[in-house]
Amino acid sequence: MIQSLANWILSFDILSGMGISIAWSLSLFIVAALIFVFVAANAIVLVYIERKVSAFMQVRLGPMRVGKFGTLQTVADALKLLQKEDIIPDKADKILFTIGPWIILVASVVTFAAIPFSDTLLAANMNIGLFYVVSISSIVVLGIVMAGWASNNKWSLYGAMRSAAQIISYEIPVGITLISVVAVVGSLNLQTIIESQAGVGNLFHWIPIPLPNWYIFHSPFLFVAAFVYLIGATAEINRTPFDIPESESELVAGFMTEFSGLRWALFFLSEYANATLVAFLVSIVFLGGWQSPFANYEGVQIGFLVISLFAIMWTIFVKVKTKRLSFYPLGLSIIITLSAWLFPGFAIWLASPGLFWMLMKVASIIFLLMWFRWTFPRLRVDQLMYVSWKVILPLSLINLMGVAVWMWLSGEIQF
Amino acid sequence: MSYFSNISSAITTLVDGMKVTMGYFVRPREHVTLQYPDEVWPVPSRNIGVGELDTYNTIRSKLTVDINDCIGCKACERACPVNCITIDTYRGEPDQDLGTTSKGTKIKLLTANFTIDMSECMFCDLCTPPCPEDCIVMTPDYQFISNDNQKMDVTPEERWRDRDLLIYQFSKVSEEERQRLKAEAKEAAQAKALATAAKKAEAEKAAAEKAAKEAAEAELQTQAPITNIEYAEEAPPVSSEPESEVVPFAFTEAVVPVLESTDNEETTRINIPIETLTKVEKQDEILEEPQTESAPHIPEAAQVSEDSVTSMEKQDEILEESQSEPTPEILEDSQDAEDSMTKESDNG
Repeated sequence: MIQSLANWILSFDILSGMGISIAWSLSLFIVAALIFVFVAANAIVLVYIERKVSAFMQVRLGPMRVGKFGTLQTVADALKLLQKEDIIPDKADKILFTIGPWIILVASVVTFAAIPFSDTLLAANMNIGLFYVVSISSIVVLGIVMAGWASNNKWSLYGAMRSAAQIISYEIPVGITLISVVAVVGSLNLQTIIESQAGVGNLFHWIPIPLPNWYIFHSPFLFVAAFVYLIGATAEINRTPFDIPESESELVAGFMTEFSGLRWALFFLSEYANATLVAFLVSIVFLGGWQSPFANYEGVQIGFLVISLFAIMWTIFVKVKTKRLSFYPLGLSIIITLSAWLFPGFAIWLASPGLFWMLMKVASIIFLLMWFRWTFPRLRVDQLMYVSWKVILPLSLINLMGVAVWMWLSGEIQF
Repeated sequence: MSYFSNISSAITTLVDGMKVTMGYFVRPREHVTLQYPDEVWPVPSRNIGVGELDTYNTIRSKLTVDINDCIGCKACERACPVNCITIDTYRGEPDQDLGTTSKGTKIKLLTANFTIDMSECMFCDLCTPPCPEDCIVMTPDYQFISNDNQKMDVTPEERWRDRDLLIYQFSKVSEEERQRLKAEAKEAAQAKALATAAKKAEAEKAAAEKAAKEAAEAELQTQAPITNIEYAEEAPPVSSEPESEVVPFAFTEAVVPVLESTDNEETTRINIPIETLTKVEKQDEILEEPQTESAPHIPEAAQVSEDSVTSMEKQDEILEESQSEPTPEILEDSQDAEDSMTKESDNG
């Protein structure tokens, strides 16, 4: 993408005077800015959606005052956070306190460099893409420990220690689960992983149900592995029910206790960037990435779009006619889960169907994460360790071996 | 095996929980929260009053006054346990028609200031029953909220003042008129204070003379044994003194030792001089104590400070020397107590 952008820049007569190196750096900067804008805008939209989802699950209405249906609430919140006083506690370690949030933000934004948004929309096509993403996203814990230690606050330190313990515990099953997929693909390149899931096949190779060739349908072991990965990743990004690093009922706000204003906003930004990253990884590794669920049937894709647009129109029609806030199931769920993507969805689909399906899958996974968050109670620290070391880790090891056996049985590999 | 059953039970219970939340998420139902400024809980309006006219609401919230019906009787002010109501009334001109209330009562006093401090109010509703005209009422308005300071349409005359906009002031007259009335009342109070001071000085002199006389009589009476009945008969002349409020106090104090000493003669002998002494002390106390009960008679006493007490004693000396004319010092003192005087002096 960077190369093509540089070529595109050089193709203009006025700009062709600049050397290839300047064009290259310019397109690097543009891509980085695009990724950051995506992450920031994504966080603002996701915070709104999360608040709405939580509200509807608790029979509330959520933000309703700022903008129509509170749509501008998070924008107002972001503006407020930017204006707030920049407080550094007296006894805090000033340097670590200052750079901690930035490390977290950078670690979570930089991972998007290797994430393929579509078949062409990819900042850096690395042959170790998966390894890069997993390893860089682990740096987040460094920033969390920095922030917790520098705050000079017992709650912050507790939160940071818990976060470190949690990430050490859950990196292992997550890594092993991803390895079981890599064992099938034979490559760490994310683009290759997605391309290898093209086409339609049988469910679990033998059951005659035609399904896309996604790895979640590859074998029962990878089916379990997908959920193992989802659980482990939820723990890694510190989301409920694994949010013990910032468990607000025990530690005040965990490692975020002493932070306010812009730095706190950075924590929030990176939290949602991480959630999006996990959703991207799940859809890339297990759900076929930018591959359409309807494979090559273009008519089905258009039909799906027409149906979802019709559902939205129907909801709006009902709302206008009854003149009250009515929550109609289908229209509402579609609006809430996909509102971020669906309205520009048709245009995106016209421009690039791959991007559309990618974002659809990501939105669904994020909704699943929100659903988890507003359903499950928080685990205790010992329960968290129990789940990690005694349940998830053995399961992932069993999956790894099972996938190997499955591939041998199905004839994908021969010895 | 329990390992796998644990996992399966965990999965089933988690799925159960997710079903519940998705059910709430998807199902159309009334939300449980209120969009506050747009929707409010209805105020319960159960009338527990007696009769049709007495529509007394169970919600006790903001106090309001129909100032046009107020006759200035200050019944509510007296009833208030926390003193959050302040009323200033003035006598109008002799031939001034102050109108009648909606009940037909003729208004005799001009209520220039009727202030309710809702930050002090404890919503006990004790002020509304004493009102003879039913003009002070508790409204069910529990939201002390306004977008505009100037336009709270409780009454047109209502204005806002300090203390977080919780002091409600009602008035029948304009601000300038009220200031004028206040100034006039001050002058009248000063004149009255001078008059009372002169009167009191006269009375004190009489009292002192009488005390001296009684002391002399008591000296004589110590020679002869007396009974307590005789002494009780002698007491009434004391009560005829101008400071009539103090007399019962002095009387009881004097009588109690006498009653105790009925069987012993020697104690009575000792007691009688003491009684005269206490009476002299009482007279000092009249001057020293800021007597809230007898305030209309001694307006200077409303000041509660050491300085005032000393100045009072000086006054006594001065007054004893020259009884007829008030000195400039008295004027100054009376001006110090202006605020209390303006209220208190027109009370009756």
